Amino acid sequence: MKTIPPPCLEPETGPKYWRSLDQLANTPEFRQWAEREFPAGAGDLGDPVTRRHFVKIMSASFLLAGLGATGCRRPVENIYPFAKMPLDYVHGVPQYFATALPTRRAAIPLVVKSNEGRPTKIEGNPDHPDSNGGTDHLAQASVLSLYDPDRAMRCVRNGSGQSRMAALDALSAISKTLGDGSGLAFLLEQSSSPSRARLQQAISEKFPKARWHVYEPVDLDLPRQAASLAYGASVEPYYKLDEASVVLSLDCDFIGSEENAYNNIRRFAKGRHLDDKDSPMSRLYAVESLFTLTGVNSDHRLRVPPSMIVPVLARLAVNILAASAIDSQLRELAAPAQAHDDWIVPCANDLKANPGKSLVMAGYRLPLAAHLLVVAMNEALGAVNHTVEFHQTPASKEGTISELAAALNAGQVQTLVILGGNPGYNAPFDLQWPQAQAKVKTVVRLGYYEDETSWDADLHADLQWDIPAAHFLEAWGDARTADGTVVPIQPLIEPLFGGLTELEALALLGGLTPSSPYEIVRQTFRGIGGDDENSWRKFLHDGFLAGSAPSQAAVQYNPSALTEALGKLQPVGPAPAADKLDVVFYRDAKMDDGRHNNNGWLQELPDPISKLTWDNAVLISPKTAKDLGVFTDRNVQTQKFFNYTVDIKLGGRTVRGPVWIQPGMADNTVGLALGYGREKTGRVGRGTGFNAYPLRTSEALYYAAGAELTNTKDTSYELADTQSHWHMEGRPVVREANLDQFRQNPAFAKGMRPEAPPVIAPLYPNPLDETKKQAMHQWGMSIDLNRCVGCSACMIACQSENNIPIVGKEMVGKSREMHWVRLDRYYAGPEEDPQAVTQPMLCQHCEAAPCENVCPVNATSHDDEGLNVMTYNRCVGTRYCSNNCPYKVRRFNFFDYNRRPLNHLYKSPLVMETDGEWELMRWLKNPDKGNLPEDEWQLAKLVKNPDVSVRMRGVMEKCTLCLQRIEQAKIAAKVKARDTDHVRLSEKEGTVPKTACQQACPAEAIIFGDISDPESSVSKAKGQERTYSVLEFLLTKPRCTYLARVRNPNQEMPDFKEHSMPYTTEEFLKAGGASAESEGGTL
Amino acid sequence: MSDFFPKWTNNLPRNIIIGALLAGTAVTAGVTYYFTPKYTRVGYEPIQPVAFPHSVHVTQLGLDCRYCHNGVEKSWYSNIPATSVCMNCHNQVLKDDDRLAVVRDSYATGKPIPWVQIHKLPDYAFFNHSVHVNRGVSCVECHGQINHMDEVYHAKPLSMSFCLDCHRDPAKHLRPLDKITDLDWKAPNEATQLADGQKFVHDWKVQSLQNCSTCHR
Repeated sequence: MKTIPPPCLEPETGPKYWRSLDQLANTPEFRQWAEREFPAGAGDLGDPVTRRHFVKIMSASFLLAGLGATGCRRPVENIYPFAKMPLDYVHGVPQYFATALPTRRAAIPLVVKSNEGRPTKIEGNPDHPDSNGGTDHLAQASVLSLYDPDRAMRCVRNGSGQSRMAALDALSAISKTLGDGSGLAFLLEQSSSPSRARLQQAISEKFPKARWHVYEPVDLDLPRQAASLAYGASVEPYYKLDEASVVLSLDCDFIGSEENAYNNIRRFAKGRHLDDKDSPMSRLYAVESLFTLTGVNSDHRLRVPPSMIVPVLARLAVNILAASAIDSQLRELAAPAQAHDDWIVPCANDLKANPGKSLVMAGYRLPLAAHLLVVAMNEALGAVNHTVEFHQTPASKEGTISELAAALNAGQVQTLVILGGNPGYNAPFDLQWPQAQAKVKTVVRLGYYEDETSWDADLHADLQWDIPAAHFLEAWGDARTADGTVVPIQPLIEPLFGGLTELEALALLGGLTPSSPYEIVRQTFRGIGGDDENSWRKFLHDGFLAGSAPSQAAVQYNPSALTEALGKLQPVGPAPAADKLDVVFYRDAKMDDGRHNNNGWLQELPDPISKLTWDNAVLISPKTAKDLGVFTDRNVQTQKFFNYTVDIKLGGRTVRGPVWIQPGMADNTVGLALGYGREKTGRVGRGTGFNAYPLRTSEALYYAAGAELTNTKDTSYELADTQSHWHMEGRPVVREANLDQFRQNPAFAKGMRPEAPPVIAPLYPNPLDETKKQAMHQWGMSIDLNRCVGCSACMIACQSENNIPIVGKEMVGKSREMHWVRLDRYYAGPEEDPQAVTQPMLCQHCEAAPCENVCPVNATSHDDEGLNVMTYNRCVGTRYCSNNCPYKVRRFNFFDYNRRPLNHLYKSPLVMETDGEWELMRWLKNPDKGNLPEDEWQLAKLVKNPDVSVRMRGVMEKCTLCLQRIEQAKIAAKVKARDTDHVRLSEKEGTVPKTACQQACPAEAIIFGDISDPESSVSKAKGQERTYSVLEFLLTKPRCTYLARVRNPNQEMPDFKEHSMPYTTEEFLKAGGASAESEGGTL
Repeated sequence: MSDFFPKWTNNLPRNIIIGALLAGTAVTAGVTYYFTPKYTRVGYEPIQPVAFPHSVHVTQLGLDCRYCHNGVEKSWYSNIPATSVCMNCHNQVLKDDDRLAVVRDSYATGKPIPWVQIHKLPDYAFFNHSVHVNRGVSCVECHGQINHMDEVYHAKPLSMSFCLDCHRDPAKHLRPLDKITDLDWKAPNEATQLADGQKFVHDWKVQSLQNCSTCHR
């Protein structure tokens, strides 16, 4: 008997859950391409060595191996125990330390796992008063940077390596020549460290004439500056999104690229949380030029070019502020936005209707005046002290990089100290930073990499010392989290390459004692938390100092600052056109400003919106692409889709990059991500993307107008995206409804089916039915799509926990990426202004799993607790399971990604040399090492989780629901139980583990647990009426279920008047999708 | 045609078939015996850098296993003791003995003693000592009577089927928790073992875990 799959419900019209523009185009070629399991070339060996040649070589090697095997003996391995046993150390039991990841103006509190002395996994600190234990993807990936084989490893004096001692002596010697500090300039990154503030103060006292400058290419400090101006005191805002009913974001991607995003996500998700139909839910308006995660999660989105954002903001202000506060200047500024009044007026009314429960936020790209205007609006809306609080913060007195560059060019600086940052790469172009830096006599540079700011043979200062910086997991430090709580940064490992911290370098240069970072931090803590040794120990143990957050400052609003700033604001230019494009420079979701360029996990993480990996691109809207003739097309010969490479010309300078068509972007606008195209970077980052910094000047750091786009007609550059893979062909994979629909019919999602489920029994009996009767737990997962914002922290957490390799750009282009959990992003609606949804997709742990029935060697099977498990050592790599998986979540190791350099995947070890030695000989000496160069191998193995097998070539893998954590929890319970029967894990007792994705999720969208325990939170979540399974008509009975997404539109808004339900739902119904009333009623 | 093949070739196909069958049987039998851990591992007895006699320390002096292997109840790994543990006694006992030169040297220099590994599972099998010794499985079940060994050797095959024998029927192998490190202890007779074992299985909720995921992750 053959199961006949239910027909795909969309013949021609199709519910347009389109995943890429190509799919929307729906050409016959595309259909043909899409119907293939893997895109062209995915299954080819692709090796220039032919199959026949391969067989020849292999038979020769088997012969050799056969000869060798006769003399085979078990290799002798040694065990090296300690000579002296360290206290409190049990080999094999991981240790956890509380620390923190410093960000620009704050920090993320962390608990880091250490296996045998090497940090392996980063988790948030759930005990911290302003954290739920969630983190962001950058924090998760930071552990990989620790083991980066390309990080700076040596002290360098004018390009030649020196001993660490020599460098330290040189710093002390420089310190003695500084006199009163005239001619001394420091260039720092932003920091929230109390110790750094203290050292700066001490050095200023010693060298009163020293200059201090701070530079961040993407500066997230404007909200603080605006608040400080408006309130006449040094305060910074702290947003409480969970308390807000209506939020308006003005080009503010608070979910993605703003400071403290992980905490914004937590609070935002709390405001979106639905328990039942009576739960309140917040509403989000977004005004933006790019399509960001905040736009994806918004209920109403207004897409305008960057030059229009300030007018829209002003127009909103005119509608919100009291009449007395509106002057002619503001009216004039607001005039161009009148065209958007049908959007602006109801939005402003909604904000005003919720006094004390509404919040307006402005993004880092907006000018200071806009931020001041937002402060005024929040004042008028009564938001202050309700949805936004102001906390006292140390005032910053440092100058800017432009001032420093002017001083350098004027020859006022003899000694320049650059601590962190990479101005040689990312300083505004008009400053000509490398030339300015070369005019100085002595440069001391502390950097994590030897990069564009390091000593350059052609252009350099008389004397330059490049000193490696320590990773935050290697050295002592301190910081304040966004709420102001003091957190320790405590090391888990000695500096691998003798790096210094910023604190150490400052102390040495300032001739201060003590100069050891530990002593510095300890001394600072005495001033904050007292001299008591116990409170210091508690501080380190807890990972924060309780009660150290400043209380809410009583602030007095002063409107004059706004009037002044508005007066200084540049007039709004003409609207952009196809020959005069607006440009947006934005902080990349993964590379940040370029600092994570050599981090493979981040390079391979798909961008949350465009799903591009390993590259940035020239983002333009579909309409602009058509106008300019750069629409993505298909090569007739190679059958591949291509993108044109274009030149963007701005102010006489040009950058070249491939076009990427981004639906939902403002027309006549170009989006350029910063952080790519590095000239001097490591093996991972080399050759990725293009550098957009040359277009950026200090006058126009984030927005620029008047750019021209020229098509070079070059189509050879390939972009690797994960977007067009695995079509779901329009089935209701993500289910949505509006809040009022949900309230009328809470079980709407259950009814959304392409058709009534076919009345057939599954083909195979479900063996789990029998075995689960005797099992102690039944594991399951529930993912709340209403809480998930698509930030991708789960993907990196999973990668880190489960030893998932990166595969490189070429392999991603062939759909061979290995992420066990991915974030699917679907668009729906018109391509110019679509709605988007994100959905984490991982192994669904089907009870009647299609993959298991087709495995010829029983490598994938069920355990009696309901997990679909993979036994790697049984797998022979037929890939039948992947073929038969309806969710396309299985990943195959086409190559030995863990043991081979990504550029040598194809080469046979017989013809390869590594480190100057024949590969086969190397392998015979040490078969574990693989083909990685020695330095890479020594570090690459340190980041691996010892509790998870490292998979080799030819093996299938997929999500295990963090089986290792489950097993360890069960073992821990049994060890504790000894001769009692108390072995069942229970959520009430806190013994049920969290999966890595669940732990990392700042939105708490993922809930894992025991579904046989009716009291567990996963059982309760699954009991919610929004629960549905993806592709449930296949009768796979997934253990992972989803909670449907609910939008909360305002009925007065223009887009609601046209579309009274989410685009996805509307199109689903239009395509003939029925809502089965028997299952839960109508939509 | 008859000129072509002499008479004896008539029997050739039969002989070839019989020969092939015999050869096949021999190869199968050979592989089954010689290519298994039972043959390749059992009896492996490498020379250790220090001639440490378990028989003297355990049986004569009465040291408990956990005095040296102190991680066994807490960790997946049963640790080889640090040199400092040896020196707890040997800074008094036999403190100038030549046989202990390596130990004293290690303690003085901080360089570890290179013990040779005997029991080794493949990397894809995740065995946990703590959960076994805390739940009624004695050391002797897998390691044999180490307490009578002068030089430690591999006593049991530690193959997958060896693990499964016990996992399929734990009752035959469980013992009271206070007898875990008493390697000479045996139930008075098989019937008592079985009765007690079944009682332990019931009272302690010991499961017969045969899921792949129990050991392979």
